[in-house]
Amino acid sequence: MPLISLDDDDNTLGMLRESANALAERIDGAQVMRSRRAGKSDLDRSVWTAMAEAGWLGLLLPEELGGLQLGSRELVVLCESLGRGLLTEPYVQLAVFSGALLMGADHGANTSALAGGLVDGSRIVTTLWQTERGARAELKATEKDGEVLLNGCAGLVSAAQSASDYLVLAQSDGDSVLVHLPADTGGIGVSLRASVDDAQLGSVDLDGCSVPSGNVLARGHKVETALVRAIETNRLAIAAELAGIASKALEATVDYTRERIQFGKPIASFQAIQHRLVDMWSDAEFACSAVTDATEKLGEPDSAAASQAVLAAKARAGDAAIGITRRAIQLHGAMGFTDECDIGLYMKRAINLNATLGQPEELRLQYLATERAA
Amino acid sequence: MQQQDWNALSDDEFRGIFREWVDANCPSHLRFMRKQRPVFDEVAEWYHALAEKGWLSPVWPQEHGGMGLDAAKHIVYVEEWARLGCPRIPDHGIGLTGPLLIEFGTDEQKANFLPKILSGEHVWCQGYSEPNAGSDLASLRTSAVSDGDDYIVNGQKIWTTLAHCANWILLLVRTTKDDNKRQNGITVMLVDMTTPGVVVRPIANLRGEADFCEVFFENVRVPAKNVVGAVDQGWALAKSVLGHERIFLGAPSRPEYALKRLEMLAEDRGAFDDPAFRSRYARLLLDLNDLGSAFEKFAKILREGGQLGAEVSVLKIFCSELYQRITEETLAVAGEEARYYDDLPVGDNEVDAMNLYLDSRAPTIFGGSNEIQRNILAKAVLRLP
Repeated sequence: MPLISLDDDDNTLGMLRESANALAERIDGAQVMRSRRAGKSDLDRSVWTAMAEAGWLGLLLPEELGGLQLGSRELVVLCESLGRGLLTEPYVQLAVFSGALLMGADHGANTSALAGGLVDGSRIVTTLWQTERGARAELKATEKDGEVLLNGCAGLVSAAQSASDYLVLAQSDGDSVLVHLPADTGGIGVSLRASVDDAQLGSVDLDGCSVPSGNVLARGHKVETALVRAIETNRLAIAAELAGIASKALEATVDYTRERIQFGKPIASFQAIQHRLVDMWSDAEFACSAVTDATEKLGEPDSAAASQAVLAAKARAGDAAIGITRRAIQLHGAMGFTDECDIGLYMKRAINLNATLGQPEELRLQYLATERAA
Repeated sequence: MQQQDWNALSDDEFRGIFREWVDANCPSHLRFMRKQRPVFDEVAEWYHALAEKGWLSPVWPQEHGGMGLDAAKHIVYVEEWARLGCPRIPDHGIGLTGPLLIEFGTDEQKANFLPKILSGEHVWCQGYSEPNAGSDLASLRTSAVSDGDDYIVNGQKIWTTLAHCANWILLLVRTTKDDNKRQNGITVMLVDMTTPGVVVRPIANLRGEADFCEVFFENVRVPAKNVVGAVDQGWALAKSVLGHERIFLGAPSRPEYALKRLEMLAEDRGAFDDPAFRSRYARLLLDLNDLGSAFEKFAKILREGGQLGAEVSVLKIFCSELYQRITEETLAVAGEEARYYDDLPVGDNEVDAMNLYLDSRAPTIFGGSNEIQRNILAKAVLRLP
């Protein structure tokens, strides 16, 4: 079945894949989703701890911040495995996105402490930067007399309830600032809405929250650069996870249609079914090769080509995962429509990821605009 | 002709050498021909120039007059060829008969036939499909009956590309009838098309060209020494010749060319001002980009010395269907002008919208229809019952 295929001379990727698969074997991702839904929880602590123990939360962070200092290649292999194993904790939002912002910040004591906690799982660090509709949030930082006052509303926040710390992307006098806001600060209001993939998305109101000025982790150009990088890395990670979902959902459907007997034969013996499965396989193949291409280009000097390739990869993998899981449900028949059958959970997860940081249409138009501007 | 060891060069070095010579020597009036399959006489000067340089046959071993390129260098050869818009030459001798004889032919057959392919004296065509044996090739019925030192061939072939400019045909015939396994009893033979009893009738295609034909055989006498490999064992031979070349059925050059034409037309007719068009165009552009990524995945397997599995036909399916979607969009952009058969004026240039639209109908059918490709993938890759 289709896999992201990267050069792996010393088998580090192979070992990473093995350890991720081993964890996915041990944890029933579908059950975690169902119990998270029942408990209206935004994070499963035991899975998160297991991820921390495996070292994954600091995968990209430099050693000086307590991370493993690995790169995009390792990231995509891990995220592909998370997708395949239906491990749906907000890894990309917390470890990758918040992690990328910390990497781009000034590496002072505050940043180091946050990064250390992020890596060992003792702190849940999420970022406030979007509105409920996905635009850039207008969060205001007022700096005065050694303190920073934060005001505004952010939406689409992963682990908003579980968070121990927020990173706030705010504007201070027309300048971007990245501010560390401990979750126990006064003036924070959190409300939750269920997400399609059985977690919760938070809206966070900041009403004059006060932190010391030392909590400003970065400002100006540095913040914007870190944000661009965080978005790009996240899109790549999500593309890989979507490719994993696509491939795994295909596999499950192949298995199911081989076993399901109607008219005295496995339904996978019917040409109408076979051709659909082949088209699903083809979509998964293309998703994996697009992610492979983007990952390889990120390792080359031409950063414009790499950015284009990341857009292409997320668009392709999103369409593939959505299209494959949708057809997978059809081919599972009525079983596919039940909550008991895991295939629908793959679809729900795919919908969430596909909608995160740009749906395919938007990404393609961005790709085209860049191409035509060049 | 003494050849150097091309495979010892890096891909980039080889690309530079190959590109420079081809660009200097491929006649400009033959570049980017609208005809996909020119007949031999139309491209003879290019054929002979390549032959003289020793670059006509990229893959044959050097001892037989080829360049002896490995798969990676062959990909470079094909890419540059397409990039520079060189015309396709009648290549059944180079790509089909030659490799078959090199692998399965007798020394006498090799000595007799290979040089004549390189010199252009023998122009080959491929006699496989029959009126009732297309996708189901094993049901072929053209018969060859032993008669002394000869075989007597009777029957009909169809969709025989460029048969009207060929003088030899690589023929699949039935020598034994085996109802239990129809793949048994098929034999490969080399047939001189000037033999009495061979009649070729060109078939006009949708583009008004006759690039394929019917070929009739009535009591055609073929010397038994022209059988390739063992009698009745031809099926495996016929299937074996397509090795890494299968990747080229999915090479992005056709859709790439078509997308450039679409962009020219769209630019000129103001279609990029239309958000709906931009959205459709962006999808096609990304499809082409991602076809490149998928192609690269398989090319990499070859570069690392690996073999291609059945998976590679995914490229053929995607590439041929993308080509169609691009040409369909081109007609949509043409609007009422899609009523014209002739090329559409675009500034000082022309866009062959209808030509491409019609041309793109073929690749989903030839080389194993896309439906057959899907059947094969279902069995060979997904292992479906």
